[in-house]
Amino acid sequence: MPVITVSRQMCSLGDDVAEALSRKLGWELIARNNLFSRFPQIAPTPYDLHMLNESAKYYLKQREGERTFRDVLQQELQEYLKDHSAVMMGFGSQVLLADSRDALHVRIIAPKKTRIQRARKQYHVSEEEAEKILDTADRKHKKFVSTVFDADLSDPACYHLILNTAALSVDECVASILALFKERELHRQMELEAEQLEVRDNLSERPVFKNQAEEEFAKILDMYQIDWKYEPKTFPIEWDAEGNVTMAFSPDFYLTKFDTYIELTTMNQKYVTIKNRKVKKVRELYPGTNIKIVYKKDFYSLFNRCNPNGEL
Amino acid sequence: MKYKRIVFSEEALSARVRALGKQITEDYAGKDLLLVSVLKGSVFFLTDLARAIDLPLQIDFMSVGIHPNPGGVAGVVRITKDLDHDIAGKHVLLIEDIVRAGLTTGYLMQNLEARGAASIRVCALLSNQAEQLISVPIAYSGFEVPKTRLVGYGLDVDEQGRNLPFIAEIQTGVDGN
Repeated sequence: MPVITVSRQMCSLGDDVAEALSRKLGWELIARNNLFSRFPQIAPTPYDLHMLNESAKYYLKQREGERTFRDVLQQELQEYLKDHSAVMMGFGSQVLLADSRDALHVRIIAPKKTRIQRARKQYHVSEEEAEKILDTADRKHKKFVSTVFDADLSDPACYHLILNTAALSVDECVASILALFKERELHRQMELEAEQLEVRDNLSERPVFKNQAEEEFAKILDMYQIDWKYEPKTFPIEWDAEGNVTMAFSPDFYLTKFDTYIELTTMNQKYVTIKNRKVKKVRELYPGTNIKIVYKKDFYSLFNRCNPNGEL
Repeated sequence: MKYKRIVFSEEALSARVRALGKQITEDYAGKDLLLVSVLKGSVFFLTDLARAIDLPLQIDFMSVGIHPNPGGVAGVVRITKDLDHDIAGKHVLLIEDIVRAGLTTGYLMQNLEARGAASIRVCALLSNQAEQLISVPIAYSGFEVPKTRLVGYGLDVDEQGRNLPFIAEIQTGVDGN
C-alpha cells in the first residue's frame, strides 16, 4: 500500500506537514512517539523499550537468532504496509523503505536562521540557546540514521522531494506533496497495466516482425530451440551537445542463453553500411556487448540449409 | 573430386591434432573424460584426437538432422542418433569437424547441459569466428578458416570426399559442407 515518509529538520515545520498530510489522506501518522506502542513486538520488554529510546546502537543488537531490533522494526512496518497506507515521520523510515516502489520520500528543511527564529518563539530562548538546541537535534538525528542504517539523512538522493519552508507554508507543502503523490500513483498504475500487457503478449502472441526475413530467422532459431527476444533493447549511440539522444540502435534479436544480439541485413548495400556503422558504435560505447550482423548472403545460405525447398 | 588447392595437408592436420591432444591430456588429467563425436564429419578427427590423448577416456556418438516440416515452414531439428551412455557426472568434450553459424553446436550443448554432465566443452577442428551467429565457447580450436567450401578429413560434398587425408578448398558452384 502507498506510504509517504517525512524526514524533517527540527523547526522546519516538518511535523506540521506530516500531521496535515495524515489528516488530508485519512492515513495513520506513525512517528517516534507512537512507534513502540503501535508495534509492541519491536520492544517486547520495558528494558528493551528504555534502551531503544536511549541508544541507537541497541537497534543493532541481536535479539533472536540472527535478527536485530532494526530487522524486527523493518519487518513489522512492511507487514503493516501490506494492508494499510500511512504517513511515517522520522526514525529513518525513508531508509527502511528505500526500496519500496509504493513509498514517496519527502524531506522538509529550512535555512538555519529561519529555524533559529522559530525555535526562539517555540522555546522562549535566546538566539544562542536556540542555535545550540538545533545543533544538538541535527547531530542526534544524523547520528541515529548513520548508526542504525549506515546512511546519511542529509543526502538528497534519499528523497523524491525536498521542500524548503523559508517561503512555503504548511498548506503549500502539503499541496505539493499530494500533487506529486497523485501523479506518481497514476504513473505507477500505468506501469502495472503495461507489465500485465507485456506478460500477456509474451504468453500468447509473437511479435510483429518488420519483414519476412526476420520472421523466417525467428523460425530457424525456434528449429534449434534457441531462446530469443525480438528487439528487447535500444542502445543510444549519438547525443547532441545538450546530451539528448539523437541516434539509437535496436538489434533485431537477442539470444538470451548465448548473450548475443543479432542484426539482420537483407536490404541493399546503402543500409548495410549504415548498420555496420551503428554496430561499430555499439561495440565502442558498450564494451562487452556481443553483437553480430547477419548479411544478406549468409542469411539466404542459412535459410536454404534449413529450408531445402523453401522460398522467400 | 575437383578441388582448387589443399588448405591443410596431412602433416599439418596430424601436427595440430597431436598438439590439441597434448593440451587436452593436461587439462583433463584425473577427470572422467567422454569424447562425443558429432556424426559424420568429425569421425576422422575423433579417432586421431582420441589416440593423441594420453588418458583413459570413453567415446560416444551423436547425430543431428533437419527434418522437413510438412506444413511448408521451417523444418524440425532433432537428434537422429543419441548417446548410448549416461553422461551424468562426466566431463564431456563435444568433438566437431567445423563450427560455422554455431546453431547445431548450440543446440547440442543446450541438450547435453540438461543431462547433468560435470562439464561440457567444445573441441572443433575448424571454426570461423566471423561466421558464428551464436557465441558458442570453443575451448579447443584446430584452425580458423575463411568462408570457403572445404572437403576432406571428414568433410564431404554430397557424401563424397570424406576419406581424403587432407582438407582442400573445392571449386565454387559445388555444394559443400
